Amino acid sequence: MSQSNLPSQQDAIRTALSLYPARPFAVSDIGSQSGWLKAAGHDARNLYVSGPMGLATSVALGLATVRPNDQVLAIAGDGALAMNLSSLATIAGARPKNLSILLLDNHVYEFTASAPCPTRELDWLSVGRAFFGADQCLTLDELTPERWAGVARPAMILAEVAPSAHKPAPLGMTPAMIRLEFLRAAET
Amino acid sequence: MGAGQSPGMKLFSSIAAARPALVTGVPDGMLAEAISLCQASVELTYIACAREEECIGLASGAAMAGERAVVMMQNAGLLNSLGALATMGLRYGLPFVLIVTNRGALADPNGYDIEKRDAFDAGVRPVARVFDFDAGALPDDLVPAAFRWAEAARKPVILALEKRLGSDTGAAA
Repeated sequence: MSQSNLPSQQDAIRTALSLYPARPFAVSDIGSQSGWLKAAGHDARNLYVSGPMGLATSVALGLATVRPNDQVLAIAGDGALAMNLSSLATIAGARPKNLSILLLDNHVYEFTASAPCPTRELDWLSVGRAFFGADQCLTLDELTPERWAGVARPAMILAEVAPSAHKPAPLGMTPAMIRLEFLRAAET
Repeated sequence: MGAGQSPGMKLFSSIAAARPALVTGVPDGMLAEAISLCQASVELTYIACAREEECIGLASGAAMAGERAVVMMQNAGLLNSLGALATMGLRYGLPFVLIVTNRGALADPNGYDIEKRDAFDAGVRPVARVFDFDAGALPDDLVPAAFRWAEAARKPVILALEKRLGSDTGAAA
């Protein structure tokens, strides 16, 4: 697929969320993924992570552990996940039945506009399958809600996305606002 | 806690008394027994992380949902995790409890631990509240009290456990 045919991060996030019959908790990495998640649609079940790049998968695992009856989707960029690759081993070991990862791969650190990720030649599908198995690591374009419903967790969705020419709008939320809104959503 | 309990059993009992929804960590010799007991417990959920920074993420996810989380690691692991502690635990005001073995004490003079302790003093204490304890004489209500403090302060708290001269640290490595 040529880059011009690739979806944006915002569209890929929206598509991934639409695979679920009910809105999952969505835990996004700092910067690009949090900005595009909010642009795709703000929801009280969005948890915008301000911590180091890549920590969203770990935060999502903690959330999935204490909310075992809710679906949780971690949203990571390729540069971010490369910074916390060990979290895939931890998730594979913990085997949460309600956690999935959406990996948005555009081969660059988007906030730099051009700096390439060291993983730009990496076969992420093979990486995901090494940790979670072939049936639990799929590309976004091959998924439908019906098929996704039958995929065991933990699972990983790989989405090739186009680099954006501009950054998403700032979140416009303080840490206290994010925490309080999410806490209310997580307690109900 | 009963008399005659090992330090690891005492620590486990104190963690269990706080009823956390999640316990996570990366082992250190001084924590091995408590971690093994947590993993074997039917009342606790323990998740073994591959790297310490992940533990901060897990605890943050649990705390964001309003649940109690305990993290266990060595001082060197916390140094690996300072960015996560600052940008998640401190920034969001998340009241989780970190149990950190502060290696390199006077009674714990491994050459490879000395700089870790220096860096812990220089890098951790200025940014986060640390309470220091003798690993061989832990108070019964240590972890419940730590949660009460963290929840009142609305921030993480670090319990630094160290070997002290003349104290019983059992078989801790």
